[in-house]
Amino acid sequence: MELSQFVQNLMNGLAIGSVYAIFALGYTLVFSILGIINFAHGAVFTLGAYFTYTLVVGQFENNGLLKGINLFPNGSPFAGHALTFGLATLIGAVVAGLVAVLIERLAFKPMRARGADTLMALVSSLGVSLVVINLIQLMVGAEIYNFPSNAYGDVPPALSFHIGDKTVIIRTVQIIIFAVSMVMLAILGYVIGRTRVGKALRAVAENPGTASLLGISVDRFILITFFLSGFLGGLAGTLVGTAFGVAGPYFGVTYGLKGLAVIVLGGLGSIPGAVLGGLVIGLAEAFVPADYSAYKDVVAFALLFVILLVRPQGLLGKSAIQKV
Amino acid sequence: MNDFLSTYGHLLVTMVQAGLLGLSLYFPLRAGQLSLASPGFYALGGYIAAIMLTNPAFSGLRDSLGGGIFVLTWLVAAILSGVLGVVVGVPALRLRGIYLALATIAFVEILRVLALNMTITGGAIGIFGIPQAFGLVDWQYIWLFGPLLILTLLFAWQLERSRVGRAFDAIREDELAADAMGVPPTKYKVMAFVIGAVLAGVVGAMSAPFLNTWNAKQGTFDASIATLAFVLIGGSRNMWGPVVGGALLTAVPEVLRFLADWRLVINGLVLVVASLYLPQGIVGALKKLVRPRPLRRPPTPPPASSPPPPPRQPNEVNS
Repeated sequence: MELSQFVQNLMNGLAIGSVYAIFALGYTLVFSILGIINFAHGAVFTLGAYFTYTLVVGQFENNGLLKGINLFPNGSPFAGHALTFGLATLIGAVVAGLVAVLIERLAFKPMRARGADTLMALVSSLGVSLVVINLIQLMVGAEIYNFPSNAYGDVPPALSFHIGDKTVIIRTVQIIIFAVSMVMLAILGYVIGRTRVGKALRAVAENPGTASLLGISVDRFILITFFLSGFLGGLAGTLVGTAFGVAGPYFGVTYGLKGLAVIVLGGLGSIPGAVLGGLVIGLAEAFVPADYSAYKDVVAFALLFVILLVRPQGLLGKSAIQKV
Repeated sequence: MNDFLSTYGHLLVTMVQAGLLGLSLYFPLRAGQLSLASPGFYALGGYIAAIMLTNPAFSGLRDSLGGGIFVLTWLVAAILSGVLGVVVGVPALRLRGIYLALATIAFVEILRVLALNMTITGGAIGIFGIPQAFGLVDWQYIWLFGPLLILTLLFAWQLERSRVGRAFDAIREDELAADAMGVPPTKYKVMAFVIGAVLAGVVGAMSAPFLNTWNAKQGTFDASIATLAFVLIGGSRNMWGPVVGGALLTAVPEVLRFLADWRLVINGLVLVVASLYLPQGIVGALKKLVRPRPLRRPPTPPPASSPPPPPRQPNEVNS
């Protein structure tokens, strides 16, 4: 492979991999606290993208209950500038986080209160995901919505530079995705690793019973966890949406699945593992030769399958000691 | 009656089919293995039937066998699903719980992307014009799926009373203890997995002519979880559970048709509510209604009355 091609693939892989990472962190946070996989996470991802789109454009096509509505007849105040777009993204992610909190209260908490089998949480979260996906379809139809090209304001759509006599093109969106994801990861790493809230979160993840004996309100930290998870999912949704368009209500399903591969690869419940897993899968996909690009989607799952067989605890997971 | 069948016959067959798929997931679960691989084997079986029934390479075979070709597709689907079940099952069944579930989701997804990209499977378009089995149309497929369901239930019933069934139960309850008692877990886990694989493969091979067309949408992640919902909401501790769950959950979207655009939203809500209020599944809840409540220890007298508690009676049940 030529150097220019290598650099190009590397950039593509890092951008998509960093989105996988923040998205998968949402799964991991919930898994580490409750030991369940929240299949509705993909739907929250989709919601985040739609919320941001609503703020930035506020106009929907000819299907669904919201057809013909124009929230901003004089143009959206959020469009056209990087800062306002950033604000819209933030609000979209916060609302997605609140939806995740609502999902926790409606679908997961009653189940915990009844001491139900955690398997049931799979079915319940699938139900939630169906509700969300179909509500989106009901509201705004199944069309693809694209963010306006000037969403970030007057920035060039792509940067190009030369390596030897070959040109490498990096879309601005990719740089923004990568930068935002890295900043998010740094903030999250700081919050979880260095603050009191993070310490409490880790304590709850380690052992909810003991944590509650030590005066930590487990219930409140479950809410915080779901909010963070939804926030990250919604943010990832907006980031992917700006790069590739918001591709209908089922937009998040593929990412929901990829996210599963990412967390297993990195180790269920491991936060650095989710980041590493995301980057590994993003890069592995980017380096699939163009001739086999149709098989790109197999890469994540083939990696998942192999890693489960070779190292079931994942790359950075701790292997549980089997107690008798 | 004919009116009823022409309106609801198709749904009826789909309900039985869903029950069968639920059962294919129930067998591994019986041995404590949460496998979501059924839709993968179902898709595989369907592709095998679709290819054997439409591909020119098999035209000679079709001409010489006549209607027998359909029986042959079931056999080939069963055998290939079984073989693939062993190949996938032996390494995958070392995993436990959610890890096994995720590995089987990966398996289903890999098969789906392969089917989507290979020429023999018709790529994204899939395979069209699959001939009707024995000239059956629509609801008449009940004559294929119905007997298969009865056979499967008889098999499940026999299995549960056999040495193998007891081995499944032992492994589900405590794998280490089962191993210590001389029940080889790997052997029985793979066996349970393969039984499910073969069943799903045969159901797929029967479904391809029923649906007339077969494509990569037949085996997806959603189908994996939907099949799990059949089993869990029907009841995972009894062979009737997956049948009842599959039939009812398949019927729900049809029953909700009067809700028009809202029906899929409500369908999702049904799943949420059912998983909250039916933790033992429908069959489990019914059993609780029918069976008298287990004996409870009488309430202990308040500590204020100081005499020591009476010695426990042997007939008291400690719950």
